[in-house]
Amino acid sequence: MNLITVAILAPLSTAVLILLLRRLPATLALLGIAIGLLASIGLLANAFNGITNEIILPGLPDLPLRLVATPLTALLSTLVAVVCNLVMIYAVGYMKLDGEKLRFFATLLLFAAAMQTLVLAGDWILLLAAWELIGLSSYLLIGFWYRRPGVTSAATRAFLYTRSADLGLYIAVFILIASAGSSDIATTLNTGGGTAVVAGLLLLVAAMGKSAQTPLHDWLQRAMAGPTPVSALLHSATLVAAGAILLIRTAPMLPPDTLLVIGIVGGITTVVTGLIALGERDLKRLLAASTSSQYGLMLVAVGAGVPLAALLHLIAHAAIKSSLFLGAGVFQHSRDGTAFTQLEGAGRDQPHCFFGFALAALALAGIPPLSGFFSKDAIIAASLASPNALMLTTFALAGTLLTGAYMARALHILWRGNSQKHDIVGLGWMGAGLAGLVTLAVILGAAFPSLETLLNESLSGNTLAQVLGLSAALSGLTLGWFIPMQRLLGPLLPWAQRGFAIAGGVDTWVVRPAFAIARSCEQLERGLYAAVLGVGRLGLGIGRAVRYSDERGIDGLIFSLVRGTVELGSRARALQSGLIHREMAITVVGTALILATLLVALLI
Amino acid sequence: MSIELLLALITGAALFGVGVYGALSQTNLVMIMMGVELMLAGAMVNLVAFWRYLHPDNPAGQMFVLIIMTVMAIEMAVGFGVAIARFRAKGSVEMEEAAELKG
Repeated sequence: MNLITVAILAPLSTAVLILLLRRLPATLALLGIAIGLLASIGLLANAFNGITNEIILPGLPDLPLRLVATPLTALLSTLVAVVCNLVMIYAVGYMKLDGEKLRFFATLLLFAAAMQTLVLAGDWILLLAAWELIGLSSYLLIGFWYRRPGVTSAATRAFLYTRSADLGLYIAVFILIASAGSSDIATTLNTGGGTAVVAGLLLLVAAMGKSAQTPLHDWLQRAMAGPTPVSALLHSATLVAAGAILLIRTAPMLPPDTLLVIGIVGGITTVVTGLIALGERDLKRLLAASTSSQYGLMLVAVGAGVPLAALLHLIAHAAIKSSLFLGAGVFQHSRDGTAFTQLEGAGRDQPHCFFGFALAALALAGIPPLSGFFSKDAIIAASLASPNALMLTTFALAGTLLTGAYMARALHILWRGNSQKHDIVGLGWMGAGLAGLVTLAVILGAAFPSLETLLNESLSGNTLAQVLGLSAALSGLTLGWFIPMQRLLGPLLPWAQRGFAIAGGVDTWVVRPAFAIARSCEQLERGLYAAVLGVGRLGLGIGRAVRYSDERGIDGLIFSLVRGTVELGSRARALQSGLIHREMAITVVGTALILATLLVALLI
Repeated sequence: MSIELLLALITGAALFGVGVYGALSQTNLVMIMMGVELMLAGAMVNLVAFWRYLHPDNPAGQMFVLIIMTVMAIEMAVGFGVAIARFRAKGSVEMEEAAELKG
């Protein structure tokens, strides 16, 4: 059996098994995801040895479905599997007291399987299917606590935002298949010219939706309504990563114009969402905004023409961001909430957790020798070397600065304050998952050179980039730690806290008109319905009138004629007495009368 | 008009009048039929008188009388048949009792 099959089917079949057995969800989930991890590692090992696993399934006529484990996809698959495993271990503790473990773990496994399909897909049709599946399962997971107020609307919002951006992917895929005549991703990457520009921009739209880039970033912060392990998974290696993965995989095809647009979108996002994160009043929402910001940095790297830098940052960010979320989940259980007012001093409750959280935060800010330093350095070096060096470097440095500032601010709030001791159920499992991810976040940087050899590309080291990046990160951290956020943001604060009114703008310019159209369509529909009903009523009325005139009019006429005739007959019958004498007398008298009349007529 | 014709017409009218009276005044079916015979006889006297004194060369008048006599004979046969049937069934031929025949 092919390892690809195992990597995808192990989580999927475990999900089915959980739903069928209806017991031991946590154990089964851990087992299934671990088997998937082994398969992914096997794929990666094969990739290191130069073996490419591939499966070709019968699909549409002339468009077979392909699953392929190239070095890139095997690496991504391993990343997804590792993060899923650690998050799953954490989730066992996190969900200890929840009543609906079956649904949770089954959906999480479905999510993992869909994401494996997405990264391993070798053709566009399978990729589209997996893309839709991760949209669906993230909707289910964000809306997991559907009884709580606001959760379903957050899930629906996330689904609709990503779903409308998906239209870009659909059109791009149709264009690519039509122009290349094949659905194989590797073949379509040879597309060039105007087609590539258009398809690239459409792919960017899809990636903007999934990776929560400005102006479509609003759904990600609202998606915090889901359980924390879900947030960790969404933000690190799955849903949100799908957008960046899409762009990284298609990067060889993208022409310079498209790359420039991608860089600008990413740069604007990293600054805007960085400011939003700085002004945020809730830990999980801060981390969500930070995710958008980091994916903005990856887009900058793609825009600079070095997708490898984006990939490295994606990997480092996956480990870092899931650690941060898992830490936030521990604090959430400790204080029953994630608002900063509740979390003051929460770091002192759980010093070990806080240590892990702080390590991950520093890694995100880009402090050596943690993994984030190497990936950020790669991004800054890439933007320095790109044709639009000035703009992209500014964006990248601003993003780095803001990252340092908001992470320092979060750490500051978590540490300053009074400790409150709370017992947390399932802390052991949560700690294990967190520890694994933090370790990854710390040491991943050492693995980057071997990844570069695996992918057969190399990043040029750049001392200038390192100096610039480190100084931006350090100054960001200092600013965030020592200067209160209100002073730091100044007049921008109310704007940042309202998300720069972009969500409102989307509401005003997209959602309201959509609702208005829907409403007028409904009016039209109701009108048509009423008209149809009216026609029906009219027909019924005519029918009734016809029946009435038939029964009372024509039938009545005939019946009255009949009745009249019968009555006339019975009256005439009275004359027929049967008494011969009387009748003869009448005859004689009648004849006499006739004769008399004749006589009178003759005489006159 | 000759006096003979007038006499004949008066005789016919008298016969007819006696017949009418008989048909109206009698209650027995046989007697009523005899009244009717008298009326027919009166009519025939009239016919014969008109033929004899006004159009003696035209045989249509004679023929007409002969047809009436035939009809009279048939009528008698039918009438007496009915009377006999009635008598056998009810034991009388009184017409006042036969009103139920109208159905």
